[in-house]
Amino acid sequence: MDNLGFIVAAFAIVWGALLAYLISLRARGA
Amino acid sequence: MTETTIPRGNTLPRIRPWLGIAAAASFVVASVMALFWAPTDTTQGDVYRIMYVHVPTAWLAYLAFVVVFLASVAWLWTKRPIFDAIAVSSAEIGVLFTGLCLIAGSIWAKPTWGVWWTWEPRLVTTAIMFVMYVGYLLLRGLSTDFSRRATRAAVFGVIAVIDVPIVHLSVLWANSLHQLPTVLRIAGAPSLDSSMLLTLMVSVGAFTLVYAYFMSARVSIELARQGRLWTT
Repeated sequence: MDNLGFIVAAFAIVWGALLAYLISLRARGA
Repeated sequence: MTETTIPRGNTLPRIRPWLGIAAAASFVVASVMALFWAPTDTTQGDVYRIMYVHVPTAWLAYLAFVVVFLASVAWLWTKRPIFDAIAVSSAEIGVLFTGLCLIAGSIWAKPTWGVWWTWEPRLVTTAIMFVMYVGYLLLRGLSTDFSRRATRAAVFGVIAVIDVPIVHLSVLWANSLHQLPTVLRIAGAPSLDSSMLLTLMVSVGAFTLVYAYFMSARVSIELARQGRLWTT
């Protein structure tokens, strides 16, 4: 798979941000 | 403030676990399809797989801000607090998805265009949209009066939605480095391979379920906040 670093970075940032937002919702009482 | 129209015993908390399970499951399927199942693009190679997160986040930015618009109109029309809760929730989640769209697009642009960022119409109008909705959230902090704050934000939400079609059509109106629409095209059917289109549709569906799950949770938080605001 070419440009693997870019692909991994993009997916990891999106997944990580969604997970972080989910955690923030839980922290706010959802 | 004596009037309260906050709905009691709403169904959001009951469906939320199922929505969460559906979102998580479809997200896993979409990720496997995007990374392993979809074929390699003959022109771009594998880096095009970033489109499977970039396009859904762009779609959800559009959807979220159209929801802000609809909820804002509904607030101005009815003054029911639920619509203000929907508007602020969708704006916050829309800012998240717009930011992710810009970041994923930038990571794709570097190996494809050779730059992380360029001042071309689609990128600039998207960045303006991001700043506008950050502004929407900041505007809400300027007043502690619930009704005034909701009305100001709603007027902003109605005006700001103008940027959504501008973002989408900017690639047609101006000489653009960004590629033209391949799915939501004015003229004709989507212009990509069927297995790529299926993967993209599954990804869009999965991200939309994530948006719905986030909305159900965020609206509940906002309704609880309104409840505290109105009882103190």
